[in-house]
Amino acid sequence: MAGGDRLSDEARPARGIPPSLGRPGPTAYHRLNPLTKATLATVTAVGAVVLGGVVGPVGLVVVAVLLPAAIAGVLPQLVRTGLLLSLPIAISAFVVNLFFYPGAETVLLRIGPITATAEGLAFAIEILVRILAISGAVTLFYLTTRPSDLVVDLERRGVSPRIGFVTNASVQTVPAMVDRAQQITAAQRARGLDTEGSVWRRIRGVVPIVGPVILGSIAEVEERTMALEARGFTRPGRRTLLWSPSDSRTQAIARWALVIGLAATIVARIAGFLG
Amino acid sequence: MTVSLRSVGYRYAGASRPSLLDIDLDLRDGEVVGVAGASESGKTTLALVVSGIAPRTIGGQIRGKILLDQADVDDWPMHRLSERIGIGFQNPATQLSQVAGTVFEEVAFGPMNLAIPRDEVIDRTWHALEALAIDALSERDPRHLSGGQQQLVAVAGLLAMRPEHLVLDEPTAQLDPAGTRLVADAIAALAADGVSILVTEQKTDLLARIATSVVILEAGRIAMRGRTGDVLDDPRLEELGVAETSAGRLRRLASAAGVGGARLEAALR
Amino acid sequence: MTELGVEQLAHVYPEGDVRALDGVDLHIAAGERVALIGQNGSGKTTLVRHLNGLLRPTSGRVLIDDTDAARLTVAQLATRVGLVFQDPDRQIFAGSVRAEVEFGPRNIGRSAGELRNAVEVALEATGLAGEERTNPYDLGGSRRKLLALASVLAMRTPVLVLDEPTTGQDARGVERVRSAVDAVTDEGRTVIAISHDMRFVAEAFDRVVVLRDGRVVLDGPPDVVFGPAAWEVLASTYLEPPLAAVVGERLGAGSTPTDASLVAALGSWSAPPEGDDPGDEDHQHA
Repeated sequence: MAGGDRLSDEARPARGIPPSLGRPGPTAYHRLNPLTKATLATVTAVGAVVLGGVVGPVGLVVVAVLLPAAIAGVLPQLVRTGLLLSLPIAISAFVVNLFFYPGAETVLLRIGPITATAEGLAFAIEILVRILAISGAVTLFYLTTRPSDLVVDLERRGVSPRIGFVTNASVQTVPAMVDRAQQITAAQRARGLDTEGSVWRRIRGVVPIVGPVILGSIAEVEERTMALEARGFTRPGRRTLLWSPSDSRTQAIARWALVIGLAATIVARIAGFLG
Repeated sequence: MTVSLRSVGYRYAGASRPSLLDIDLDLRDGEVVGVAGASESGKTTLALVVSGIAPRTIGGQIRGKILLDQADVDDWPMHRLSERIGIGFQNPATQLSQVAGTVFEEVAFGPMNLAIPRDEVIDRTWHALEALAIDALSERDPRHLSGGQQQLVAVAGLLAMRPEHLVLDEPTAQLDPAGTRLVADAIAALAADGVSILVTEQKTDLLARIATSVVILEAGRIAMRGRTGDVLDDPRLEELGVAETSAGRLRRLASAAGVGGARLEAALR
Repeated sequence: MTELGVEQLAHVYPEGDVRALDGVDLHIAAGERVALIGQNGSGKTTLVRHLNGLLRPTSGRVLIDDTDAARLTVAQLATRVGLVFQDPDRQIFAGSVRAEVEFGPRNIGRSAGELRNAVEVALEATGLAGEERTNPYDLGGSRRKLLALASVLAMRTPVLVLDEPTTGQDARGVERVRSAVDAVTDEGRTVIAISHDMRFVAEAFDRVVVLRDGRVVLDGPPDVVFGPAAWEVLASTYLEPPLAAVVGERLGAGSTPTDASLVAALGSWSAPPEGDDPGDEDHQHA
């Protein structure tokens, strides 16, 4: 037999996986199962939309976004990133509703032809809070969870490893293609292709670049496929996992409680109990 | 375990002519067979056929028989064959799975796919890393390694599947001198340890160092075969488009000029 | 004929703050055959990309015949400096060999007559005459690399830069590259080549420039750069001298970077190196 057997003549102490694999996160919140954190994020985001008024969503943000963020020690980053991401949408939504809320009567401020109304302001605040809740919930998830951890956890629960693989691989295709396109452009420019001239010239200049990019990318996919198959990738069924995030009965119960709570809220809202 | 090819021919999908014809070859335990030949002589095709990638993954038509210890492997699926014969390719980067954050996970990828029990996966991975002397790299990101190091990771990943034979298709073709030396040394160590290897290479110096026998391909057929020393010293190498070894060339030029002899031989050791 | 000057050239890549070139000074006269060697990451590719403007200096300058390259666009520089990239598949796009080879000279404005002639000569030099209508992807990898070379040869630039011309080439391909290089320098044009093949470097070039960490550490003819006195520096760049040089040193034959020079040294010997005049008597070393 090749390799292994001949090299393991003496009994060795069993080594485990290297320490950096599956290293638990720095705080208790980080160490929560990724599905738990994903559930919390989803329930918070949807819940903020479903709950009426302002008090509900604000309470949700405090309890389900700000508090965990503080526990996880990512509060400053959360505020910075969350605000940054949502600011454009938040500002435009706020302004639109403040000034253009239909059917409003109580005028607060007049700036030329447009009017800020009290009803508009109230609605604008409601929208703003919801946008911040959604962006906060999603940002919290990303700051405390490695996406690959979620993929591994899902795989442990029975999701096919190929799905995780495909998403991973697809994401990495783009930078690879960009890199290839840059190199090809350099080679063509070295042969006098003018990329700095008129728009028409530049459009024509795309031809000697697109062909090799596509062909090369296809060839690369072929190479990768062969290498994967040579390592048993096409074997049907589940595979061994070196490590997966820990989970607990408590967390499982909490997840269900969150989902049921959300469902109940939705029903209540539809039935008119929450206004 | 012996891999036997009997009258094997292969034509790529959509090709008008076969790329391999009438190949009779045996790969026995502990042997290192080198395959040389001009560009397009069929070296890569042979590697793909021996490992089963052709026709299973890339299509095309195969003729003749491939036997593993007398068993016909014609209807074996790729994942079953990959446990017996591993294949490594030229490009170090495209062999990475891209889903492994560390070298350890990269090397464990194959055994994980085979659903081998966890403890054994870990055990095999460490053995493979040690066989290639890269256990110190176990926690590094494979994407940030040099080409030579990535090739070692790729070979370790194959070894972890405990194949009986390794097929390596021009493993040093895309490497710089330092990478080439790294990989060549590693392959030599594996060969010395009794690993069975089929390696295709343009670099005849490398084959001279590690191969027990050499096969020369020309236009898809075996044009010459025999013990490494005999084949690589054969004057017909030039017309077959294969480079002489560096030492061989020196000897030839020296003897043509009437100099050299024993002293030259001694200095070539 | 074109002279190249590189003065205190430094280049820092913005991503990762990598100082790829750290003050390189070079002067290359017309018609020189220069090999650029060094480990991956030593700055060789970065350096040659400054010669045709694909990269611009962070500091220092590149002079093409006393004109600062910074004043010229890449398209303009392509008429003076032709660069053949390492991977032909990151360049070849046309449906026929002829169209591929015509692309470069057409871009730089050669007339129809010049074009036809240049293409013919280039195809002849690379052994592709007769393949004008062949689809490049029907050629093997080795010949596609020669096609990439032909496509830049046809531009007939005064300076030709080759990035790893022999990597991945079979024996015949290497021969073709060497004769193409000869043809170019016979016309008084300059050739600069990046290569990992020390034997090719020792045999085909009159000047070897060694880079390490973005600086020139050795610059001279092969018998100096591959001579025993330089081995320590060479080792620090993870490069090894050609076999002939190593054997020559073991036999006490001085600096013999090429097989031919070693054979010549052995032939001119009459006695062990104890101070006898070489060539004194005719001793046959059988």
